[in-house]
Amino acid sequence: MSAAEQHKRTEKILEVSNLHTRFKVRDGYLYAVNGVSFSLDKGEMLGVVGESGCGKSITMMSLIRLLPPAAEVTEGTVLLDGQDISQASSSEINAIRGAKVGMIFQDPMTSLNPFMKIGDQLIEGIRYHKKLTRVAALEKAAKYLELVGISNPDHRLTEYPHQLSGGMRQRVMIAMALIGEPDLVICDEPSTALDVTIQAQIVELVKELREKLNMSIIWITHDLSLLAGMVDRIMVMYGGQVVEEAVTDELYRAPRHPYTIGLLKSIPSLKTEAGSRLPSIGGAPPNLFAEPSGCPFAPRCSFRTDRCTREVPPLTPLQAGESDPLHRVACWVDVQQQGAAQ
Amino acid sequence: MTELAIQGPQEDRQISLVQDAFARLAANKLAVLGMILVAVLFIIAAFGPWLTPYDFLDQDLMARNQPPSWNHWFGTDDLGRDILSRVIYGARTAVVVAFSTVFFSLIIGLFIGSIGGYFGGKVDAFVVWLIDITMSVPSLLVVIVINVSLKPSMVNWMDAKFMETGNEFYRNTIWVDFILVFGSMALIKWPKAARIIRGQIMSVRNKNYVLAAEALGVSTPNIIRRYVIPNSIGPVIVYISAALGEAMVLESSFSFLGVGVRPPIPSWGNMISDGLRVWQLYPHVLAAPAAALAVVTIAFSFLGDGLNDALNPRQWK
Repeated sequence: MSAAEQHKRTEKILEVSNLHTRFKVRDGYLYAVNGVSFSLDKGEMLGVVGESGCGKSITMMSLIRLLPPAAEVTEGTVLLDGQDISQASSSEINAIRGAKVGMIFQDPMTSLNPFMKIGDQLIEGIRYHKKLTRVAALEKAAKYLELVGISNPDHRLTEYPHQLSGGMRQRVMIAMALIGEPDLVICDEPSTALDVTIQAQIVELVKELREKLNMSIIWITHDLSLLAGMVDRIMVMYGGQVVEEAVTDELYRAPRHPYTIGLLKSIPSLKTEAGSRLPSIGGAPPNLFAEPSGCPFAPRCSFRTDRCTREVPPLTPLQAGESDPLHRVACWVDVQQQGAAQ
Repeated sequence: MTELAIQGPQEDRQISLVQDAFARLAANKLAVLGMILVAVLFIIAAFGPWLTPYDFLDQDLMARNQPPSWNHWFGTDDLGRDILSRVIYGARTAVVVAFSTVFFSLIIGLFIGSIGGYFGGKVDAFVVWLIDITMSVPSLLVVIVINVSLKPSMVNWMDAKFMETGNEFYRNTIWVDFILVFGSMALIKWPKAARIIRGQIMSVRNKNYVLAAEALGVSTPNIIRRYVIPNSIGPVIVYISAALGEAMVLESSFSFLGVGVRPPIPSWGNMISDGLRVWQLYPHVLAAPAAALAVVTIAFSFLGDGLNDALNPRQWK
């Protein structure tokens, strides 16, 4: 591998450091994202996993400031393709949305405007970003509908959302996110609202499109099992923080954070004995109404030490000599050693 | 070749949502009846002067309190005026008052309601407070206060102006009645419009498709024009239909109580009021305007219900 190739491989499309987002609530703030840092290589696919309310969606929405009025990003830098967009004006952000960063949302049934034809919605973004004529834009829209596997695209362009099934609408949403030819696509649980067979189709489609279009993808989900065989790297979030990050195989093989271990244990497998109870993580999700003063997972953690409740563990790379040099974990305890001792 | 023939050109079976809603409306018999009656009302109101057999002021003192006949279909009143002509002119009054009232109340309501719905927070709290305060004042009281306090001074001012300038414009004080009636009715009716619009804008603003459009980089004016307005307009249309009917009843009740449109301008309300004094002797004097008011009110409520079903996707089956 030449030096140039090496450089190309490691070129970053996205670098986020120390991102903080909070919501103004009745008396005080809800700290939804607390110092999240991560990066994404060009062409890489990153899975973000965590339970509801752990801040995974808000983190990604904060990148392009697609937040409700009560939320504000208080700290952090976002480098998109080397360019700092954390201080960008709202019109600059508008030019990035759709053109450089595409988004696919969870619920295709409610994410299309019922009063607009599919075609008009598809070209909504590119007409502003690329200054195409309506006819040229519609031609492009038909091409993208075909790309996402919708037959008879010219006809579909003239239909309204209520004339399409849920799976088809999700395909339209994907076409809508891709038509602006973004470098980065954020998928916010795009398969969650669909039934399992359609879910598998959508996953396959995204994998296929990634090969074809060479995009970088962030896939947000609460279903850790869905990510196996799909993403390159997984980032586990808890309480608005990244608790563990590793290459997919490594994370499944050697999880280091007690939360990740709990998540993996709770996936049913074919080996699970019939009639046995599926292990679950006890306790409730953390209360985020105060800034974290310790590890957010500490109250539910069986490896808890005094230090865990006093100091927030930083996300640190594992010791040299591990199989994955990128494996990082935020835990004061060496779980593997502890586990062996127990 | 055969395959092509089998597939053929795709039949264009697309229907727009407006057509869809209209088809639902047309399938509802009561709504169609309401629509026809409302259309008849508008035609009568628009072409009234050409439809009436007599002028509404023409008095035939030899033919007072006549029962319905071929010459006077609805009979005549105590001054020998043709009741049919007066009912037709009353329709004009009702339509003009109803449209102006709804128009002005919508403008006020749209402005205040959309500000509250869009900005939220403290602004919204103030808007809700304003709506609650306005709604808590008895509407009849507002109209009576406005009429009693403003009308005499306005009429006096107009008389003085007429004396001073001799301008014919100041001579006719009938339109003072109309303006006070529209104005006071718009003042008591806007909170309902504001509430509907505020709620619509608040709910549409949080819809996923608005978020999806924002994620595509669509500009705010375009989001408002192409996403928020079309999706919030349905209940407003239903409100307009219902409010037109309500405004006609309201105008009639004010005229009945003598604080609305004053005689000799015919209004169904003041005709009912006149008829009530003599109804035991001459029931037709009361029957004609009362029936007109009842039919129109029912027509608007049928149409409003039909529109509500047709435009509200949650009720689609």
